[in-house]
Amino acid sequence: MYELAHVTKDYQKGRRMVSAVRDLTLTIPDGEWLAVQGRTGHGKSTLLHLLGGLDRPTKGSLTYDGTDLTRAREKQLVTVRSGIFGFIFQTFNLVPTLSAAENVEAALIPLRTNRAERRRRVSAALESVGLADRARHLPSELSGGQQQRVAIARAIVKERWVLLADEPTGNLDEATRDEIIGLLERLWADRGLTLITVTHDSTVAKRAQRIGVMKQGRLTIIRGAART
Amino acid sequence: MFFLTYLRRELRRRMRQAIFIVLGLALGVGLVVTVLAVSSGVQDAQRGVLQGLYGIGTDLTVTTKPPPFNPNSNSGLRITMTPNGTEVCNNGKCSTGAQQLDNLNAQAYAPMSYSTAAKVAGLDHVSAVGAGLVLTDEQMTIPATGAAGGALPQSTSFNVDGVDFTHSKLGPISDGTISSGRNFAAADADADVAVVDSDYAAARSLKPGSKVTIAGVPFTVIGLINQPQGSVPPEAYIPLARAQALGKSAGKSLAGKINAVYVTAASAAQIPAVQSEIGKLLPSVTVTSPSSLANEVTGSLASTAQLASDLGRWLSMLVLITAFAVACLLTMAAVARRVREFGTLKALGWRSRRIIVQVLGESAALGVIGGAVGVGVGFAGAAIIGKIAPKLTATVATPTGQHLVQASPSGTQVTNPTITHTVPVVMSAPVTAGAIVLAIVLAVIGGLLAGLIGSWRIARLRPAEALARVA
Repeated sequence: MYELAHVTKDYQKGRRMVSAVRDLTLTIPDGEWLAVQGRTGHGKSTLLHLLGGLDRPTKGSLTYDGTDLTRAREKQLVTVRSGIFGFIFQTFNLVPTLSAAENVEAALIPLRTNRAERRRRVSAALESVGLADRARHLPSELSGGQQQRVAIARAIVKERWVLLADEPTGNLDEATRDEIIGLLERLWADRGLTLITVTHDSTVAKRAQRIGVMKQGRLTIIRGAART
Repeated sequence: MFFLTYLRRELRRRMRQAIFIVLGLALGVGLVVTVLAVSSGVQDAQRGVLQGLYGIGTDLTVTTKPPPFNPNSNSGLRITMTPNGTEVCNNGKCSTGAQQLDNLNAQAYAPMSYSTAAKVAGLDHVSAVGAGLVLTDEQMTIPATGAAGGALPQSTSFNVDGVDFTHSKLGPISDGTISSGRNFAAADADADVAVVDSDYAAARSLKPGSKVTIAGVPFTVIGLINQPQGSVPPEAYIPLARAQALGKSAGKSLAGKINAVYVTAASAAQIPAVQSEIGKLLPSVTVTSPSSLANEVTGSLASTAQLASDLGRWLSMLVLITAFAVACLLTMAAVARRVREFGTLKALGWRSRRIIVQVLGESAALGVIGGAVGVGVGFAGAAIIGKIAPKLTATVATPTGQHLVQASPSGTQVTNPTITHTVPVVMSAPVTAGAIVLAIVLAVIGGLLAGLIGSWRIARLRPAEALARVA
């Protein structure tokens, strides 16, 4: 469970200080799907990076299951990132030189699992996203939707508890968008994941349990309980 | 293994850039290998010249300078030729009329007691000592009269070494191989026998059994000796006892004397210590080491050595530094292009260290390939130099021991002529195992350096910053 108390994230932008996230207090229970909407530059991605331990708040406190992500050492953050959080990006962020299977396998490298176990989990992950027959394909040989499926397989291959998706359908056409959202919804429901999606798209957001809107760094919950 | 798969794929993706880095490193390393090969070849050639002078295994040579020449003294050979007659004074003993001279003199070096060798042998770190008598046989036909202002009769001279059989493994004779006949035996100690340089013998149609006249005494040639081409060897070797009996130094007998001591140190590192000890024991002697003698070698060989050590070294350093810089810049550019990739890997939980190892692995692989190609380039460069290298010569000046006195209204001028021996040198450019190891090490260092500079950026990379930059 996430607990955010008065979280603020400031950036120095030239001579000016920009507050990407302002005084955010929020609780995200395990297994919830929270969609965060908002216009570009209003702090959605920054919030996702804070939740994923990729950045630290300037002020306030942010804990996940008792681990203080604000004060944790880098080594501890790396452990949390490798073991608990899974990321999905708008531009898929696949390593272009590695095949679909190897991209998924890259997520298991920090866990130091043996090769046979890695192969088993990679096959299972690709199977669950319907890409078992594309395992040896390079990203450039896959469509946008297929690449995002590989990215989803990479995010769930560790059997994580938290999936953080930054505009997961932003680069996809409508049909593929529905397909990917359907897949995410199924995985969320089947695996009991905590799913946090940042999106422009109201169609995607509407599928979530809770919807919040970020405006100038402040989050307002517009559907579901506020849980602040 | 994931590390190798990722490494291989990444290098393949950046094939053109990888080839550029490899070629840059290979060129730098190849040039270093070539310069080292040329230096090695020059050193070998110099060593050959020096070994010819003092023999294999001789680390130090102990000699004594002859006393300064006094043109007013009666010592030495003085020939006065006038239309009225010829007078020849040999150490104050004069005779007139036509005559045939054949003198065996210690001209280049002053004599020392034979016991000097034993004293040097007793020093610390000395493993072997040999003694010799370096002499010059001068033959001249003096006519009964001479024209006023006319030239002196031409003399023919050749070098004769008195060989101490008990230590024949040292000294110039040790550098040759008997090509015909035999070498000295213990029974030859007091015999009039000689071992003659094969080139000298060929020029004078000498063979084993022939006679060669030394100090007016006919010596039987018992063997012909092949001596290194790049050396200035004596033309004849005779037993030390016979050289002592027949030779003179400033008109005095050389019985019980030597004028060269050949010394081998226990190890190369101890040569300076032995040189110093000899200097303390015998303050008046000259101790010559191969390194000090190398400075006396001139000619195109010396110029090549200078060129290899100066221009070659700096040129290869410049190319190597440029190659390193290019490798560093290209690696940094590659890292800059992969910021999103590294940010994603960090988001997946990869430690910075793991990513750095991956980048270093890629750079080291390029370094190893660059080193291997560089060794090939080095071999090719050395082979080309071996083919196109001009013929080199080494010139060594040795004192004749003669003094030329020239009288003029302004006074008397004395010059001490030297004989310059210019010998052809066959220069090769061998690529040594050490050079190959150095080449690989240099290339890997270049690759790792490039990788480290790129890695420094990765270590500082914050994942959110890396991902935001492309968002």
